[in-house]
Amino acid sequence: MESFAMDKWMLLIATLLAAAAAVQGANYVRRGIRSRWTMAWMLLCFIAQMFLLGMRGEMRGACPLGDLGEILIFSAWSLTMFYLLEGSVYRLSLLGVFTAPLVSVMLGAALIPGMLDTNPVHIDHADAWGEAHAAFSVLAYGALGLAAVTGVMFLLLNRRLKNGALNNALFKNLPPVRDLSRVVNRLLVLGFAILTLGLICGLVMEKSGDVTKHLAVALCQWVAYAMLLTIEWRRGMPPRKLALAAVILFVLSLLIFPLL
Amino acid sequence: MELVCLGLNHETAPVEVREHFSVAVEQQGDKARELMELSNVTESVVLSTCNRTEIYIGTEQAEQGAKALYEHLASDHDAVEMQHLYQKVGSEAREHLFSLVSGLDSMVLGETEIFGQVKQAYQQALESGATKGLLNKLFQKSFTVGKRIRTNTKIQMGQTSVGSVAVDLAEKIFGNLKGSHVMVIGAGDMSRQVAQSMLSRGASELTVTNRTHTRAVELAEELGGSAVTFDSWEETLTAADVIVSSTGATEPVLKASQIEAVRKKRKYRPLFLIDIAVPRDIESGAGEIEEVYLYDIDKLQMLASEARASREEQVRICQQMIQEEL
Repeated sequence: MESFAMDKWMLLIATLLAAAAAVQGANYVRRGIRSRWTMAWMLLCFIAQMFLLGMRGEMRGACPLGDLGEILIFSAWSLTMFYLLEGSVYRLSLLGVFTAPLVSVMLGAALIPGMLDTNPVHIDHADAWGEAHAAFSVLAYGALGLAAVTGVMFLLLNRRLKNGALNNALFKNLPPVRDLSRVVNRLLVLGFAILTLGLICGLVMEKSGDVTKHLAVALCQWVAYAMLLTIEWRRGMPPRKLALAAVILFVLSLLIFPLL
Repeated sequence: MELVCLGLNHETAPVEVREHFSVAVEQQGDKARELMELSNVTESVVLSTCNRTEIYIGTEQAEQGAKALYEHLASDHDAVEMQHLYQKVGSEAREHLFSLVSGLDSMVLGETEIFGQVKQAYQQALESGATKGLLNKLFQKSFTVGKRIRTNTKIQMGQTSVGSVAVDLAEKIFGNLKGSHVMVIGAGDMSRQVAQSMLSRGASELTVTNRTHTRAVELAEELGGSAVTFDSWEETLTAADVIVSSTGATEPVLKASQIEAVRKKRKYRPLFLIDIAVPRDIESGAGEIEEVYLYDIDKLQMLASEARASREEQVRICQQMIQEEL
């Protein structure tokens, strides 16, 4: 009971930290100022998520990906991690402001009663391939999710540039379209590579119960991303189409959650 | 204790006068200390930048303090030069310093460099023991006001000329212009200015074309680019990132179909088209191509005037904030 309370508390803290980043970031954007605190909030949120996943992992005795709540938390953690890596290396302004709401929604959804098993079954023998499959797949969600977030930023800026609606604080603080487009591309490649690893692990893991539907959906998702990247690589693609595809594919991928 | 400010700036004096009054940055503190030896001057701060030299003093009697300072300066400068000086006393001097620190008195409205320069001048005066109660309080307050204005207003945002709007847009599309290829169609003065701005921000390649080839060659030489003949410029379309067009043609020089034809070859890279010709040189359909950003003279002028209006509004807000702090 105590452990249950602790993990819920940690989840609540992580959610509030992401929400704080989102609200404060949006407020700064509205005032036309660059927020210097978003990354700090998100870093704290990341740490809280690590503690939370650690607790859940201990409860399960395995990788904490046993229920929908844990998958959401793991995905939010992965998204935050890729944001911290991408954001700090390439210093993409407003990436945190756009990522934080998605992270807080994912964590908030995990707070809904029934999403997180109160007393998760402790697994004595975990299949390493199965664990790797789950972990890689969710990590891929993080990279692909961040690609979608960056895609949204691109689409917003592109629309403003096309319409000449430029006297706006959001426009002034968004990174250039070429940078955004490159980041979308890079994250799609990274996400796809991790997704491929996850799929390979999924193919060799111990199969139990009804995995056909799960596997079919995962394969469809993989094929969709593979097609997108192949077209982009072979023929090239207008950046707007690539960004739009990154957003649509990620939204569709989220719909896979209930099938897992 | 009363406050007096004596100085000149880019608006009151030409550079040949300003340079005679300038004080080396590292000597601002010593100069401030030296001024304390004047009768009626109890404290002082000397500020000298490329655009201004200003002396702030604290004195028991403003009139006598200002007179002593004026005479001191007059001993080194002739009467013509002295005519360029302005004098501000009491709340007027206070308001002036607050505006100065906020960037409202700068050549480039809202620029932030002046904040650091004033801070440095004050720090040097403080370290040399030239400041006391009045100026310490005044300058500390001015830094608070400057920070408040920069945090709460958008005074430094927005470009107000067509050329600078175009360059800002290019940076919003490409980020760093380093490595960008600029193509100029028509060797007019306006396109020269825009191209020059692009080059100054890092564009590395420039191609010029014009109906009269010799003019294209002249402009290309002047700006350090290359010239192509008017019937062969289409080949450059694949490599160009920015196209500035300002010919006197009555029919479109650049059509959407020409861009459509090279899209794949360009690998759908963004293309920024600046059409500053009237009648327009670039077919409006070109702007409908996904990766093409087309701005004509009306759009650019509208953005520049929006920025000017916004600046005026911001100046009004800044002045109101300064009044609240006085």
